[in-house]
Amino acid sequence: MKRLLVFVLAPLLMLAAGCAKAPTEKLAAAEKAVSEAQAAGAPTYMAEDFAKLEGMLNNAKKEIADQDAKFAFTRDYEKAEQLLTTTQTDAGRVTADTGKKKEEAKAAAVQAQQAAQEAVKTAQDLVAKAPVGKDRAALEAIKADAQGLATSLSEVQAAIDSGDYLGAQAKAKAIQEKSQAVTSEIQTAMAKVSGAKAKKGKGGK
Amino acid sequence: MFVHRLSQRFLSVGVTFCMLWLGLSACVQKAPPELLQAVEMLDRQLVEAQGAEFAPEEYARFVEQWVAVKGRMLTEEDVIHWPWEANPLAAELRKVQEQGERAASAAAQRKETERRSAEARLAALEERLRLFTSSVDGMGSRVVLGQRPIETELLVKQARSHMEQGLYSRSTQTAQQASHLMDGQVELLNTQLGHYADEQRVRAWRRMVRRTVDWSRTHRAVAIVVSKADRLLTLYRNGRPVVSYPVELGYNGILEKRYQGDGATPEGYYRVIRKRDRGQTKFYRALLLDYPNSEDRRRFRKARTAGVIPVSALVGGEIEIHGGDDRALSQTLGCIMLDNRRIDTLFEATEEGTPVTIVGALNVTNSVAMALAELTQTERG
Repeated sequence: MKRLLVFVLAPLLMLAAGCAKAPTEKLAAAEKAVSEAQAAGAPTYMAEDFAKLEGMLNNAKKEIADQDAKFAFTRDYEKAEQLLTTTQTDAGRVTADTGKKKEEAKAAAVQAQQAAQEAVKTAQDLVAKAPVGKDRAALEAIKADAQGLATSLSEVQAAIDSGDYLGAQAKAKAIQEKSQAVTSEIQTAMAKVSGAKAKKGKGGK
Repeated sequence: MFVHRLSQRFLSVGVTFCMLWLGLSACVQKAPPELLQAVEMLDRQLVEAQGAEFAPEEYARFVEQWVAVKGRMLTEEDVIHWPWEANPLAAELRKVQEQGERAASAAAQRKETERRSAEARLAALEERLRLFTSSVDGMGSRVVLGQRPIETELLVKQARSHMEQGLYSRSTQTAQQASHLMDGQVELLNTQLGHYADEQRVRAWRRMVRRTVDWSRTHRAVAIVVSKADRLLTLYRNGRPVVSYPVELGYNGILEKRYQGDGATPEGYYRVIRKRDRGQTKFYRALLLDYPNSEDRRRFRKARTAGVIPVSALVGGEIEIHGGDDRALSQTLGCIMLDNRRIDTLFEATEEGTPVTIVGALNVTNSVAMALAELTQTERG
């Protein structure tokens, strides 16, 4: 009887001990790390690296599914576990790098915003000094431009607030360029006026 | 016996040698370093070529295969293979390399295609903006559009920035926004100035001019006709045109005057009510018109009742035909301005009571109607 028990139970115990468990905790941890990378903005700032993370995660899931499909005694999740560990590690790196890239983009956007603000202010100050009653159509158009530029500055802030730093940079750059053009236009007009006045003075009228 | 022993010894030495050779030659097979480097380089190329954006499917397959091989390299680094066994890692890496090359080629090709397409659209939009600005300035209708032109210009500049950032689809999206904004402005201009292309309206203006010329003929007197679209003043004597002068209008002169400060030049039958000589006007010499007349007041009241003009608006006045020091420097708030030499001629030729008829245009092919047609065509284009 004892021998019978040894012969029957021993293989069962061995079988039970040999059954590998799917790495569910590691899978959850890797999934969480990839989600964090996504939330950090990796698909925008590190699209290729994020695609790799997704690829690695899918690969690990596929490997787990392949092992799950095997006979219990022959299952081996070691490869899946290694993939999940690598995925989690890489996801952490991608999240950190995304953060750095975002900070860089934000700094560039803020810098562009400041340059645009200064350019708009210069243009507005000059509009205020522009000769009243002279070249009214151009002056009215320039006033509308200066007002439009000032209004557009709020769009740059909105883009920064929403985390669209590349959009903010593009907007700020456009505003700065146009403000400089408006400034130059007013300066030319003012030079024309002072030139005309000087000419008039010389004529003794 | 000796031979047997000798053969046994040789056999055992041979077996031992074979075992040793096999043992030594069976080894860990690693990925060929040059192949590994090639795939890693492809991987970097794909990042630069924005593979995930421009060849998502091919890139996903590459990533899947590459990740699988990497995983295998990790798990099989201790597995021993016999020398006659093919190196599976090398074969798989070659597959990854092929897939990577396909993805890189597709990404580069599609990126270039998208860049060219976005560039072409943007260039067309920039050209449209140039034509638009030129037409609007030509019509003198820039002020009508308020801040819209600057918004459009900023969007076009943003689209250019996105091109420089390599964000081609975003550049195209921004360019489309700018294009829609321009379409809206064309519609607004058509609403505000569409009457310049209206045959009935032009016929009515022509009737007004004819009536004034007839009056000049009948009364053997001087009369003035101003066409706003042509920016031309014509002096008639005895029903015949004597001279025509180019004029400047109000800063929003192409529009019909509705209230004080709108910069528009009025349309209608007027008369000179006062001649202001040197010292009596800041504009060298001037002919003051009887704006607002009863028709202007009626229109003003109607517009205020309808709420289309501000409640606090006034009807305005002091509309003159006057001179100016420098054409480039002066512009009016609704008056008609010409240079001093010409106002001299006009001043001498006219007297208080001289009729002055101001109309939008004299024919349907006037500059405003033509510019509007051109703008509408570019909108459809």
